[in-house]
Amino acid sequence: MILENRLSVSSRTSYYLMFAPALIMLLAVLYPFFQGVYTAFTNQKLYLESSTFIGIGNFLELFKNDEFRDSIYRTLLYTLAVISVQLPLGVTVAWLLNQNNKIQSLLRNTLVLPLLIPPVVAGLMWKTMMQPQSGILNWLLNNIGLPSFSWLSDTNTALISVVLIDTWVFTPFAALIFLAGLQSIPNDMIEAAQIDGASSSLIFRAIQLPWLFPYIILVTLFRVSDSMKSFELFYVTTRGGPLNATRTLHITAYEEAFRWANVGRAMAIVFFLWIISYFLSIFIMSKWKRKSEN
Amino acid sequence: MFKLKNFINKMLFGNLNYLTAFILLISASFTTAQAIDMKQQSGETITVMLVSHPFVDSVKPYIPEFEALTGITVNLDVLPEGSGTEKLLADLSSRAGTIDVFMTSPLSNWQYATAGWIEDLDPFLENPSLTDAAAYDVGDFFQGVLDSNRWTRELLAGIGEGPLWALPINSESYLLAYRPSVFKELGIDVPKTYAELLSIADKLDQGSAQYGLLTRFDKFWDLPYLTFGTMLQSYGVEMLDAEGNLQICSEESINATNDFVQLIQTASPEGAGAFTWYESMQGFAAGQYALSFNEADLFAPVYQDPTQSEVSNDVGYAPTPLGPDGYRKAGAWIWSMSINAASSKKDAAWLFLSWVTSKEIMIGSHLGGNMNPVRKSAWANKDVAALVNGWGEYPGQYVEVTSTMGEVAAVRFPPHPELTRMLDRWAQAVQEVYFGKANAKEALCNAEADIKPMLSQ
Repeated sequence: MILENRLSVSSRTSYYLMFAPALIMLLAVLYPFFQGVYTAFTNQKLYLESSTFIGIGNFLELFKNDEFRDSIYRTLLYTLAVISVQLPLGVTVAWLLNQNNKIQSLLRNTLVLPLLIPPVVAGLMWKTMMQPQSGILNWLLNNIGLPSFSWLSDTNTALISVVLIDTWVFTPFAALIFLAGLQSIPNDMIEAAQIDGASSSLIFRAIQLPWLFPYIILVTLFRVSDSMKSFELFYVTTRGGPLNATRTLHITAYEEAFRWANVGRAMAIVFFLWIISYFLSIFIMSKWKRKSEN
Repeated sequence: MFKLKNFINKMLFGNLNYLTAFILLISASFTTAQAIDMKQQSGETITVMLVSHPFVDSVKPYIPEFEALTGITVNLDVLPEGSGTEKLLADLSSRAGTIDVFMTSPLSNWQYATAGWIEDLDPFLENPSLTDAAAYDVGDFFQGVLDSNRWTRELLAGIGEGPLWALPINSESYLLAYRPSVFKELGIDVPKTYAELLSIADKLDQGSAQYGLLTRFDKFWDLPYLTFGTMLQSYGVEMLDAEGNLQICSEESINATNDFVQLIQTASPEGAGAFTWYESMQGFAAGQYALSFNEADLFAPVYQDPTQSEVSNDVGYAPTPLGPDGYRKAGAWIWSMSINAASSKKDAAWLFLSWVTSKEIMIGSHLGGNMNPVRKSAWANKDVAALVNGWGEYPGQYVEVTSTMGEVAAVRFPPHPELTRMLDRWAQAVQEVYFGKANAKEALCNAEADIKPMLSQ
């Protein structure tokens, strides 16, 4: 019995020791998170030694500001645009890659290339191509008889131009997940439908698309989360301009902290962004669980 | 064999020559003892953060010389201005002390000094073991330029007094750079007033074959502080009037803004609303524009260098235009260097800073493209004089124009740790007018209303 107790103590100790690294990691993540949340409720500025707890003062000031409200709208609009373009495009590309033809493997290899390029590099590359006077895109448009486009240099076209760049970088990610989904469909289901005389479009609508729903929701979750906090593409292409046409919540937070040294307000913006992303993610996850079970 | 006793006897009681020699020897030793020990920080490593600027290339070739002279290793960290400022802010505010010496300006230092992030340099200058006062000759700096880095840390006042927060490495004001061949072909004269410039703006722009004019115009504080600021001041606009009231929404400011926007819309290409100073410098050097408008005079070394410019044989300089009442004023920018208060190697940092701002290294940097000199001896140096005299449409034109502008250039803004935020907001208002989001009165009055509470924060 004494031996059993010794073993039991030893097991318990090992048990807790195994938890220790995970606990340390958790604390390392949670401590700065809660520190940041606290800062959001203070008037902390980088160049001042001390700060005061001001409750929801930062949030009230932000919501009174037109530009902040516009940046919320802009962030949500950008996210919606990204999902609206990349989901159908990703499904289309995946469906095309799922056909058994000779160029399929070449296309599949080419598809991965944008994923290998860091978003910062991709942003700079596209910024150069989108230059209104000397960029190659307008040169191509002019050569096929179309007028030049303003791309990143006009307030009306800058946001959609960043959506285009984001689409080029991240659609392959969506397409690869959808391709995995399509390839997981049991062959006998497709063959049975084909034997029954179903067309390709009917097979797609009745079998492949419903099968892909959990994958679509999963990709939606990833892309919503990434788009809400998108920073690198905006920073290297427009830095929130021209004027404030591409000034999203994350860019606004960055400016507050690193241009104007107002970390209290910056953390308030980031905390607000976290809350929106968190509840959106919960909503999407609930849909994903339901579809996965179905 | 040298016998000290015999030497002393001879010196005191004997040959007068020995006495004279002894006095001279003692004097020489006393003078030599004044020079500092450059190896006193040997073995240290310092990190120097510089902004991408012609100064960097001009001083890089001399860094190995400093390392050999002092035994101090220098790690250079060169970044574009925007991201460099942001990285610096992160380092200074965290008191990490990773960066020991850095490129800065009086404007940025109003924030840094308020926070206690930078060192007062006067104690270093006055320390005989760190500074050879005679050789360094702080009086050789133009007094106004040196004093622009002094500030008492009093809100909205005190520039030119108090601690010395940085040492200047170059100074900048604004001018017109033009293409003589283009102006000759178009049959127009270089404009002397803003009204003349507005009247020729249409003619100046030939579309993609040759754009009219360019200047920086991104949503950034340098717009109302420097380039467009030069135009504003010539229209009689300063940020605060003598009673301390904001003038952003004054009639003169509205007029200047409307004229500026009209100029850009008429004579600049699409995308002009996002040009930084870098695009402005490169665009003119690439030969795409007839006129560089109210841009930095220190771009001249780039324009004049055939390896960096398509217009090295075809560039002239003129003073910025006169305002409606016949006045000319201009902004001033003084790149400087400061020491991080959190640095653990301040003495080594000072040895670098005093070396890079010394007479000899400054002259070398000017010959390598770092303009404009902040030391009188540099302007008087025959090689520097020969270099700058060759710039412009005719010999001596650049010097003439910079002298003219030097008489009217000054920092006419109130020192405040959040001035950049206020000026960013002002720049946004000007952009709103350019992009047609608001008329000038609306945009500027809204900006003034937003900025007013910031002044007292």
